Amino acid sequence: MLKKPNLIKRIFVYCCGPGKHQLLRVSLFCIFLSLLAGTVLLLLLGKNPLEAYRSILQGAGILPKTRYAGKKSQLTDFMSLLNYTTPMIFAALSVAVALKSGIFNICVSGIMVFSGFLATVLVGYSSLAPMIAKPLVILIGIVAGGLIGVLIGYLRHRFNMNEVVVAIMLNYIISYVVSFFIQTKFVDPITRQSVEVGQNARLTLFDYPIMNLKMEINLVFPLALITVFSIRYFINRTRFGFELKAVGLNSKASNYAGINVGKTMVTTMLISGALAGLAGVSYYLGSNASIQPRVLPSLGFDSIAVALLGNTTAIGCFFASLLVMVFDSGTTYMSSRMQVLREIAALITSILLLFSAIGIFFRALANRYAREAEEV
Amino acid sequence: MDSIIIEGIAFSIPLFIIAIGGIYSEGSGVINLALEGLLGFGAFAGGLSYALLSSVITGNPLLLIYASLAFAMVGGALLASLHALMCIKFKANQVISGVVINMLSVALTAFLANQINASVFGQPSNKFLLEIFPKVTVPLLSRIPILGAVFTDLYTFIPIIVAVAILMAYIYYKTPFGMHIRACGDNPHAVAAAGGNVMKIRFVSVLVSGALAGLGGMCFAYSISTTFSPNIYMGFGYLAIAAYIFGSWKISRTFLACILFGFARSAGYVLVQKLELPSSFGDLVLTLPYIVTLVLLLFFSSKTKAPRALGDVYE
Repeated sequence: MLKKPNLIKRIFVYCCGPGKHQLLRVSLFCIFLSLLAGTVLLLLLGKNPLEAYRSILQGAGILPKTRYAGKKSQLTDFMSLLNYTTPMIFAALSVAVALKSGIFNICVSGIMVFSGFLATVLVGYSSLAPMIAKPLVILIGIVAGGLIGVLIGYLRHRFNMNEVVVAIMLNYIISYVVSFFIQTKFVDPITRQSVEVGQNARLTLFDYPIMNLKMEINLVFPLALITVFSIRYFINRTRFGFELKAVGLNSKASNYAGINVGKTMVTTMLISGALAGLAGVSYYLGSNASIQPRVLPSLGFDSIAVALLGNTTAIGCFFASLLVMVFDSGTTYMSSRMQVLREIAALITSILLLFSAIGIFFRALANRYAREAEEV
Repeated sequence: MDSIIIEGIAFSIPLFIIAIGGIYSEGSGVINLALEGLLGFGAFAGGLSYALLSSVITGNPLLLIYASLAFAMVGGALLASLHALMCIKFKANQVISGVVINMLSVALTAFLANQINASVFGQPSNKFLLEIFPKVTVPLLSRIPILGAVFTDLYTFIPIIVAVAILMAYIYYKTPFGMHIRACGDNPHAVAAAGGNVMKIRFVSVLVSGALAGLGGMCFAYSISTTFSPNIYMGFGYLAIAAYIFGSWKISRTFLACILFGFARSAGYVLVQKLELPSSFGDLVLTLPYIVTLVLLLFFSSKTKAPRALGDVYE
């Protein structure tokens, strides 16, 4: 009689239990659960879920479509996916690095707006040569983001202010102040957004002709890849990375062991802020070209959960960003082909993030079941 | 001057009830960054109930309006139960859970509003139209100089919210249950030792928080745009968080913070109008509450007392 729950438990322990790659398996289990939830949702709407998932992959350039418009191919779709993924990789890394030392960086959105705005105003409207303008944009992103990061880290350490609260306040202050400047000085009367930045400063090349195709080429995607590996090296292999993790695990013990907690926190936030700044410039001067006033990019908030789905490791963040953006960019094609509302992608993504937020619980539960099984 | 008071009250009071919701949740030790999502989902539930019921209940718009307030509370509590489940049962990180709930709320309401409008009402839209909330001018009181403005053109939801707020403050400070809530926030193990059920008390507190946020959200939907639309996610939930931190988790001080925020906002708008500045200066006015809170925290962060066990997972 008890056989059935035992079987479910056994499968569950097999999926999420202790052993090799447990974190990875729990993440995959969460992805599986959310795809399952998405399937139920699509069935309720009377659509074929397999077909829907296939058209998402087709739209994102992972699978070939049946027909392509002129000068488009699977490769162009895939390049477009990489273009939109790049800011997410930076943002997720920013959250992950801060989280490693026990700080929640909710300010990613605000930092993105800040750095994007500064780069837009200082370089985006200038007539500098592309060879100078583009690196300058990246530099401004890093510096502007790093400044806000240091501010948060310093307030947290020196005045013992809760970084989440500070970040929320900063998000809105930045958003409204930037909106004020855009609406008084840089507004495009037709789109009601800021005036588009010049092609010389943009980090993405649009409709770039290669091999008879028109491609989107994100110039900072290679930088994102390098950043993933250097953050990985930095966290796992350097002394500072060790101190950062130690502070995150127990700041009092770290202090006792002679680690300068304040310095570590501020430096961590400097890195985290710089990464968020990079996300900002690659978003506002890359995949987009203008800033919408009064709107905090939802990408900045999504990145928190993406970092979580990636178990706050650099490589994990990379793949989690890619997965979430596949959903995001493949949905337009799916919704036009299957007459499903576009909003369903955001819904499935947030269900995915919901499950990844309780990944810790799955892990603990599986560990408990495994222990119980051993004891019997 | 009158318009400053009228607008200020219409903004501060719904904000206040959302902030009380936050105090309930955080007072019991569960961080609630989900207020933004809860108020939006509450407004969605209220707007939906209004749209659905308006074909059933005809000829009595008042009943419809008050029913939508009740449904908004139910909706807020429903989504809050998910937050409670994640934080209390599944032991998820409370900050992350809150952020995820906000995202889920935005995605879910956008999807459902579109889907329901398309399949039930047969029109492509992401909004639910509402009626203008009834206003009253109290006969004698409104003639008092200056203060009379408080009783002029008063949305009738204001007295309702004030009554609910007083009731909630009474429960929180004067009843055994309220004491249990506050004890859970300060020392859950002591509550458990005294025979209380920490998980249950926290669960109920988070539900209450959702219901109050839903009520506040619905009032915002009525007073600001008389529609439910995705524009409801304007950061009022985060502003409410700023308010109760400003009020250091005490209901009376939070009331003052909300009044301050609301009046700073309306006074700023009036000032922008009077000086004939471009409307974009309104954005600078909107930063005021956040800057004030930040500066206050800078000087008094050692003195503001958060519940001691805030954010701790109880096992």
